[in-house]
Amino acid sequence: MLFDMDRIMELLPEMTQAFGETIYMIGIALLVALIIGLPLGIILFVTDKGLFLENKPIKSVLGFVVNVIRSIPFIILMVAITPFTKLVVGNSIGPTAASVALSVAAIPFFARIVETSLREIDKGVIEAAIAVGATPWMIIKDVLIPEAKSSIIQGITLTVISLVAYSAMAGFVGGGGIGDLAIRFGYYRYDNTIMILTVVILLLLVQIFQWIGDKAAKAVDKS
Amino acid sequence: MIQIENLTKVYQTKDRDVIGVDNVSLTINEGEIFGIVGYSGAGKSSLLRCINLLERPTDGRILVDGLDLMSLDANNLRKARLKIGMIFQHFHLISQKTVAENISFALRAAATPAKDIDKRVEELLNMVDLADKKDVFPAQLSGGQKQRVGIARALANDPSVLLCDEATSALDPNTTSSILKLLKKINRELNITIVLITHEMNVVKEICDRMAIMQDGSVVESGNVYDIFSTPKNELTKTFIKDVVNIDVPEEMLQKCTGQIVKITFRGEVAGESVISDMIQTFDVKGNFLHGLIEYIQERPLGMFVMEMKGDKTEIGKAIDYMSSQLVDVEVIRDAI
Repeated sequence: MLFDMDRIMELLPEMTQAFGETIYMIGIALLVALIIGLPLGIILFVTDKGLFLENKPIKSVLGFVVNVIRSIPFIILMVAITPFTKLVVGNSIGPTAASVALSVAAIPFFARIVETSLREIDKGVIEAAIAVGATPWMIIKDVLIPEAKSSIIQGITLTVISLVAYSAMAGFVGGGGIGDLAIRFGYYRYDNTIMILTVVILLLLVQIFQWIGDKAAKAVDKS
Repeated sequence: MIQIENLTKVYQTKDRDVIGVDNVSLTINEGEIFGIVGYSGAGKSSLLRCINLLERPTDGRILVDGLDLMSLDANNLRKARLKIGMIFQHFHLISQKTVAENISFALRAAATPAKDIDKRVEELLNMVDLADKKDVFPAQLSGGQKQRVGIARALANDPSVLLCDEATSALDPNTTSSILKLLKKINRELNITIVLITHEMNVVKEICDRMAIMQDGSVVESGNVYDIFSTPKNELTKTFIKDVVNIDVPEEMLQKCTGQIVKITFRGEVAGESVISDMIQTFDVKGNFLHGLIEYIQERPLGMFVMEMKGDKTEIGKAIDYMSSQLVDVEVIRDAI
């Protein structure tokens, strides 16, 4: 039988734990991405050519670093930064360790999304703020962020969904979470029930995040 | 008030340099409304944007209120801009902020104390007639209302200059006229010098005191609006003026006429119609109006008529001399056939 109810009940505690771990990893990575990625994305934008804090050296260096990290496939990045992970959290196995790698991947990903969102803002609005005599900080706080808010929220959704996918990969190197469960039971033990269940959980997770993200993006948009 | 000295703006593109503004010098006096007219690509927008250094000139100087803007550092330039308001064709309001927030943004840029902001926003909204739209977002406003918010924002910090970048080009004729009235009121009541650019001669005719016509980055003609309308010198100026005062007679009509065709221009207080009726009574000529109009520019009449004159050639000559002596311009368009 494809769907074995007893088996599900038997593994329920493990599944609950795995689900919790996934949420925990995504949560930390998202938080770090917001704290570091958002300002990074803003810096990438405002230091660009023709903008009010144009600065070629900063733009080039940051842009380069972001590209380097983004060009490494996550599964390799995760392994490659093991020494760094150990330095930060003391070990390289488990959800906390996985969240370090997820954060490192999420920062440049989200930063680029923020940069793209800011790029969509009508340049005229920024220009009007400059003409009015606003300080750079005022332009960032009162023009850039409000104008891109809805688009940035959609970017957060995109980041979360990517993190769901990445977090599943973390399972491969003992990172815990739903992906770990799928690999241990579904892949190594040919347990189809668990395999399908994890797929369903991931699918629901993504749907829910997308739904929340869309609602939130719409709710904040006043234009 | 505003001195533009030998201003040049060159845009560098991949394969060549494009001259946006070519060695332009202009002086704009305190309290006047100055119009810069030209087709798109003539450099008028670049010139205007150089006045508050939204674009940095390649060469030349800009003095506003005696202050050499190009010599200022970033922070002092920012402070100088508080006193130079600007409004735009597409308004450029912060879409995610209310009308009041858009205006208070400008006030906060000038570090206005928080306790004074609400009162000042109220004052500004009353001035532009939008007191009831305080908490509304720009998306819910009409074009004219958005421009009024733009004007309120531009005036927030009591500027001495207001720059208008095609401020009425996106508006319908009725709204345009109400915005122009508002600009004129601002100019007269607050004594704010206004520089506007436009491709619509009607806007210039409506509110400007002096004007300049631009082509290929250069000013081809400038002066008092009435003088330019009544005696345009440059070909391009003439083309622009035809938008407002066009007295071209259809070719078919001209062919039917056998007499001498003359164009008669009356300026200012010359009582044009009586000069013509005197002329017809005094001399043995017959007059036949083909076209005519009287425009009021800066509240002064400007009359233009095209007339077919029939009669003895020497009598016509005397009639023309008579009209000329009465401060009327007579230009022979075509001799009698």
